Amino acid sequence: MSTNSSSATQVLFDAPGPKGRRRILLLSVLSVLGIAGLIGAGLWQFAVNGQLDAAKWLPYLRRDYIAFLGEGLWGTLRATAVAAVIAFPFALVLALARLAPLRPLSWAATAWIEFFRGIPMLLVVYAFLLALPAYGVTFDRFWMLVVPMILVSSATTAEVFRAGIRAVDRGQHEAAAAIGLMPRQSMVSVILPQAVRLVLPSLVLALVSLLKDSTLGFVVSYNELQFQGKNMVSITRFLVQTYLVVSGIYIVINLLLTRVALVLDARMQKRAAQG
Amino acid sequence: MIRFESVQKRYPGGTVAVEDFSCTIPSHTATVLVGSSGSGKTTLLRMINRMVDPSAGRVLIDDQDVATTDKVALRRSIGYVMQASGLLPHRTVQDNVATVPMLTGTPKREARAAALDLLETVGLDRGLATRYPSQLSGGQQQRVGVARALASDPNILLMDEPFGAVDPIVRGELQTELLRLQSELGKTIVFVTHDIDEAFLIGDQVVILRPGGEVAQAGTAEEILAAPADDFVERFIGADRGRRALRLEERDGTRIVVDGTGRAAGVLQAAEGDPAVPDGPAKDRA
Repeated sequence: MSTNSSSATQVLFDAPGPKGRRRILLLSVLSVLGIAGLIGAGLWQFAVNGQLDAAKWLPYLRRDYIAFLGEGLWGTLRATAVAAVIAFPFALVLALARLAPLRPLSWAATAWIEFFRGIPMLLVVYAFLLALPAYGVTFDRFWMLVVPMILVSSATTAEVFRAGIRAVDRGQHEAAAAIGLMPRQSMVSVILPQAVRLVLPSLVLALVSLLKDSTLGFVVSYNELQFQGKNMVSITRFLVQTYLVVSGIYIVINLLLTRVALVLDARMQKRAAQG
Repeated sequence: MIRFESVQKRYPGGTVAVEDFSCTIPSHTATVLVGSSGSGKTTLLRMINRMVDPSAGRVLIDDQDVATTDKVALRRSIGYVMQASGLLPHRTVQDNVATVPMLTGTPKREARAAALDLLETVGLDRGLATRYPSQLSGGQQQRVGVARALASDPNILLMDEPFGAVDPIVRGELQTELLRLQSELGKTIVFVTHDIDEAFLIGDQVVILRPGGEVAQAGTAEEILAAPADDFVERFIGADRGRRALRLEERDGTRIVVDGTGRAAGVLQAAEGDPAVPDGPAKDRA
């Protein structure tokens, strides 16, 4: 797969000549200098205002600070994990329903997917926080965040699965039929295993976006990482430091997830998948 | 015995793949349907295992109309080999071969053991059993495809341009292998190809199709070569270009067989016990 796409890029992308390379080098150097300058200016401003003082950074190594943010991190991971474990299988069901030959089922699934894919997640969270309690339907904070995450993420992930199912070679359907598999058997034992492998990297991306969606927990006062950060700021007044640390944690987690995606992708390439 | 009775296939929208096709395919022989693209040969093949249902007419296997049989059971009882082998990329070679027997209730252990034997039958090393299809060459994949088709020990083997995607040398090997298998197993083979030489090599009976599934000529290779029914058949088998009219010429003391265009087709070899012709390696069995 990757070799195909890279050769396709080579066809479309004309390798630059000596002049072009020089221009690219010059622009690269200039932009690196520009970015470094901006960062430097920022750091200088921080330094002038005393934001780089050790006293403002060392506390983040203190046990109680770590515990406080750790609680938030645990909340974030828990919400993300629970949402993913429910949302992804549900997404698969939605995708299969949308592809089902039974028209009403397919229409219903399509309507459901398009609705939750189209509206911002914040609106769904508000619905659970403000609208539903008015009708006597209440959830605890965890579910007020996680249910909207599931609804929105399953709708977008359903489309990922659908794309994967449709990307499986037509010949595989024919082969499955020719050896006497029934439509359901062929879906379960031939099409789905290949489709899931095709979309594994995209699923990890969906997980990353799920993790970021969990920051909406602050709306319902659920103790996730960003909300804990906000609380910490209101106590310590270390605004810049806290949000930089919190951002750092998010970036590290997402980098780890992306690495997982790369490893999975490599393993998939090495094994079968391209039959 | 497989019998087509005035079969027609008309798709919604008016495209006619097969107009009116009748033919009898005797048991335990290989019949080759040969024709260019659009001759309906694959459509006809797929009518046998009901991947395509005819719009009119009947297909009978041993006098039973396939339309009255259960689709899934029918397909499991018929071997099918397709061009890109259609192997499942996420399963090992062994599991691919064992798929159908396991579907029909053979215990897993037994089916996998049988799969190993089948790999040997089609000329593959047992060591390949744990590989995935993408780790095999095209020719090996095709052999696995044949092994899978044989796994349920079917009486009928349908082959849809099975050797179309491999290079000529491997194709030659696979053809020889198929002939060997057929001489051992004696299945009823229906083979689809657009290569007339392959058709003459494999087929006990060759059916040349015109577009729309019309039979231009049916018979043995010898019958067709000896008496092409019309211009279409002559063109199809290459007789009009002199490819089939061979004559002897003598060069440097060796008798060379030359076709109608003057190209050397091979060297004439002595029949056994005929000292008149000096021995020489056959370049081509024309």
